[in-house]
Amino acid sequence: MTNRLQQLAYRLLGLLLLLALWQLAGKRHLGGKTLPAFTDVASVFTVNFRRALLLRSAIATSTSAGLGLLLGATLGCLTALTAQLLPALSPGLNRLAVVVNALPSIALGPVLIITAGRQATPILLAAIPVFFLLYVAATSGLHSADSRLTQLFTATGATRFQRLRYLDTPSAIPALLSGLKLGVTTAMIGAVVGEWFGAPTGLGIVILNTMQNFQIPLMWAAVLVVATISLTAYGLIGVLERSVERRRA
Amino acid sequence: MATIQLTNVSKEFRLARDKRVLALSAMDLTIAEGEFIALLGPSGCGKSTILHLVAGLDEPSTGTVLVDGLPPKDLQAKQQLGIAFQEHALLPWRTVEANLELPFQIAGRTPDRAHIAGLIELVGLKGFETARPSQLSGGMRQRASIARALCLDPKLLLLDEPFGALDAVTRRFMNLELQRIWQQKRITTILVTHTVEEAIFLADRVLVMSGRPGRILREVTVPFPRPRTVETMRLEAFHHLVDNLTLSLEPSD
Ligand SMILES: Nc1ncnc2c1ncn2[C@@H]1O[C@H](COP(=O)(O)OP(=O)(O)O)[C@@H](O)[C@H]1O
Ligand SMILES: [Mg+2]
Repeated sequence: MTNRLQQLAYRLLGLLLLLALWQLAGKRHLGGKTLPAFTDVASVFTVNFRRALLLRSAIATSTSAGLGLLLGATLGCLTALTAQLLPALSPGLNRLAVVVNALPSIALGPVLIITAGRQATPILLAAIPVFFLLYVAATSGLHSADSRLTQLFTATGATRFQRLRYLDTPSAIPALLSGLKLGVTTAMIGAVVGEWFGAPTGLGIVILNTMQNFQIPLMWAAVLVVATISLTAYGLIGVLERSVERRRA
Repeated sequence: MATIQLTNVSKEFRLARDKRVLALSAMDLTIAEGEFIALLGPSGCGKSTILHLVAGLDEPSTGTVLVDGLPPKDLQAKQQLGIAFQEHALLPWRTVEANLELPFQIAGRTPDRAHIAGLIELVGLKGFETARPSQLSGGMRQRASIARALCLDPKLLLLDEPFGALDAVTRRFMNLELQRIWQQKRITTILVTHTVEEAIFLADRVLVMSGRPGRILREVTVPFPRPRTVETMRLEAFHHLVDNLTLSLEPSD
């Protein structure tokens, strides 16, 4: 317990140090005109209409990222399950996943805007890398069952489907959670980039507009919101991951 | 219960392109219905390989393995095989009770709650039904594995050093427990062990194997009546047999 408190204290200390350095750099103009002091960025949040804008945008971006995460994770897991049940398809699906992952979102964005629309583009650009991440995580997770348990299932006459249901899938959960943890940040980046191609609202739009209008503190505030959402979701999944680990250890 | 027949069985493993290991050679073995066999031998002599062949987890290179006159795969499909191997193999995310439900689920039957409760009691885990493996001691996990192996009233029980990881005291206790359970069920059993005392205490017949390639060196019918007790282990004749078998385990060259 004291250990965990100590860890928390160190983390807070690290954060404070970072903020202090930021503050110093901003006040001394060490980063030029584009790096305002932390307090200047923080004061953006005290202005009502700015706060409302950031909140609205945060909800839009989180929704896109969340839907993209859900879509990508679902497709990734389903593809991995298919490969597990029908091993003959596995090499083909591997290649498909690699190709999908190799598509650069910068090139894909304009195509998606035309075909899928401005609303759907952030969701899809969030979903694509998540699909790949979760496909890889699920595939390795589904193969991670203990060999003694695999033998037990064979010797007791389990069908392929029973093995998948009672052994492979539960064994894959830790790997899935790690994949999901990385997927959260990936999905946020995908959603923000997707918004740049012309979404109606979102933090990506705020970042783009403020950059063009040289509203530097507001731009930094939007970046800060993106990072906070990513890190919070990352931390929450981390907590879930540790509790699963503890139950199984 | 099942009879087991190994005829001229050998097993060769390929390690690399032209590196092979002959694990078993020209093995003949007949096990009668309801018999308790102990396999004793130096590490690497092919004991686990025999169990894998009988369980249908592997195929012999030559010869045949028959259980009740049929290939072991048939026994698998009928869910008539109970196995418990060295390290417990419980599903870590399931409770003891839920682990014992697994054989029923694989057999496509609804778990028999009363039967499961009875088995949990039989292996002395009453009160731990809802504990997960991580909350149990090594001995308790091993007992849960054995209970699970017994769930569907198997015709054949294969135990591969089930108590290998336990300390001497727990091990002796588990030997007494296993005998008690076995006496109630009289299932054809093959027990692989490193420990001479354990083999003699539990088995009707002890088979001593040679080092690689594995073959049967000696066969000893254990004379002590059942139930064997802690007193049995103190008999002069028991010690004598232990010494005798220990000697034949030692490398002769
Ligand atoms: N799957 C395998 N692949 C290659 N070699 C194996 C395999 N299983 C067992 N062996 C080899 O066969 C021999 C007998 O192994 P095993 O039956 O596990 O011995 P024991 O259980 O008596 O210690 C050993 O030399 C081992 O290295
Ligand atoms: Mg072995």
